[in-house]
Amino acid sequence: MKDIQTGIKVESLSKIFGEGDNEVRVLENASFEVKKGEFAALVAPSGAGKTTLLMMIGCVLEPTKGKIWLGSEMVWNEQKWTINDLRKIRREKIGFIFQAHYLIPFLTVIENVTLVPQTIGWDKSRYTKKAIELLNYFDIEDKRDFLPSKLSGGQNQRVAIARALANEPQIILADEPTAALDMERAVNVVKMLKKITREQNVAIIMVTHDERMLPYCDKILSIENRKVITKSMDKTTII
Amino acid sequence: MINLAFKDITHSLGKFIITAMGVGMLLGIVLIMIGVYRGMIVDAQTLLDDIGADLWIVQDDTLGPFAQSSRVHEDLKDTLKVNPSVDKTAAFAFQNLQIKIPSGKMVRVYSVGYDPFGEILPINHEKLIKGRTIKRSHYEIVVSKKLGFDTGDKIKLGRNVYKVVGITQKTVSSGGDLLIYLSLKDAQELQFLYSNARIRNDRSRGIINKSSHMVNCIVATLKDGYNVNKAAKNIRRWKHKSVYTADEQKEILTKNVIERASKQIGMFTVILVVVSSIIIALIIYTMTLEKIKEIAIMKLIGLPNRTIIKMIVEETLTLGILAFVFANVFSHLIYDKFPKRVILLPGDAWMLFGIIITASVAASFFGVYKAIKADPTSAIGG
Repeated sequence: MKDIQTGIKVESLSKIFGEGDNEVRVLENASFEVKKGEFAALVAPSGAGKTTLLMMIGCVLEPTKGKIWLGSEMVWNEQKWTINDLRKIRREKIGFIFQAHYLIPFLTVIENVTLVPQTIGWDKSRYTKKAIELLNYFDIEDKRDFLPSKLSGGQNQRVAIARALANEPQIILADEPTAALDMERAVNVVKMLKKITREQNVAIIMVTHDERMLPYCDKILSIENRKVITKSMDKTTII
Repeated sequence: MINLAFKDITHSLGKFIITAMGVGMLLGIVLIMIGVYRGMIVDAQTLLDDIGADLWIVQDDTLGPFAQSSRVHEDLKDTLKVNPSVDKTAAFAFQNLQIKIPSGKMVRVYSVGYDPFGEILPINHEKLIKGRTIKRSHYEIVVSKKLGFDTGDKIKLGRNVYKVVGITQKTVSSGGDLLIYLSLKDAQELQFLYSNARIRNDRSRGIINKSSHMVNCIVATLKDGYNVNKAAKNIRRWKHKSVYTADEQKEILTKNVIERASKQIGMFTVILVVVSSIIIALIIYTMTLEKIKEIAIMKLIGLPNRTIIKMIVEETLTLGILAFVFANVFSHLIYDKFPKRVILLPGDAWMLFGIIITASVAASFFGVYKAIKADPTSAIGG
């Protein structure tokens, strides 16, 4: 079961790649919860399954078994997706941030930011207002008509975060968003994500290898021996 | 909604235009090939239309004079007049010749020998752009403009020298050779009269020199009210000659004389269209591969397939339309540089447009397939 504050909830989630001799067990009975307004870091050694977990939560990769809730909606129930249009869930409920900015190179800053809201069907005044609000927030409004190739790495990453927020998502999945940034910019991005978590009441999971970013998070999800261990500021829980 | 195709095209506009120009030049060649075919059809009928005869009377059991050699007596043109349906008649002698043009090159031409005082004349006055038609029985010649002669120039043919008295344009034979016009007597001498040495040799062998009053065909026009098919049948039975109506003669030319050439051109055209379609498909496939990372991102952030497919199909159609425009510009710039007649018809261009659009849509399936198969997880590292 889940309460009204649930942002992301995962219950007994397993993922097995391949079969027989080629079988690779990545996750086994992983369970955790990230509430709305919570900022969680996902840490684990390379190859432990961080991105796999992120993709399953993001409705991109099918789990082998278990359950996933996004907000109040159960999206995966043991063997199958409970919804037909996964991309609709992604564009309406989830914001993605990646290690590189992965902006569409032939679209300007504002077009990149408004792409998903336009696809959802927002009217022009709404998505334009939202985009300008976000670009102002990230101090890149003056670059709205620039192509990504004309911006610095840090500016592009801010545009990518603005894009992830433009559809007013309930959940943000960030895959090493600070990996390509220097320490100062990385801290700024993480602070920004923390601020968004509070202000917009979203649940964020951020994959990171950088332990210096962990103090800014509310909880730490660590993958150890194919299980997810939730660590909070005052206690450590093995589920 | 942002037009992704337009954005992508304008982002790499130069590359896109150069690609469209390349495909356009290929399609331009297709248009030229179709134009060559159309030109062959028109060329095949030029002489027939200029003569404007209702009936063509040729040697029996032949398809002469253009598809097979034919010899008939010149005086047949007079005896035909006995037939009540016949209005005017004329005798013609046709043959291919090589002449030396002012630039010094030897050029193959097709000579039309006609009686300058006869009832049916083969020179269309609309095509006579300088000088006059032949007014004397000997040593005058009318030539096509493309040969490079001017009025007053002299041309040596056989044993005689001829003076250019007129220049025509757009006058060619069914084979596309430029026409020259001679008096019938000169044409008969060129075709049927042996050299003095040959005549002496023949005499010593006991062979009597034959008459040169032979022609390749007699043409006739009919009086008003007479049915051409009935008149042809009547003359055929009466004179034991092969008789063809104007329509039958056109059919002989288009079906028998240029059929293989037109099929050859048709094959080339089909191959070029197929090659163009494959090239468009490869270009779209490559363009899609170049964007596969962006497509994976679009899928990951939730853009539906229809948005991505729309982008690819619109880009393909834009490429096809732009290439078609370039094809028309290119073909219209170069068509008159070809040695033979090339006729560009709007109908052919629109037909090609239909084929290209269909081929472009079909070609875009390759790109769409690749886009649909793109794995959104490939966008995420780690």
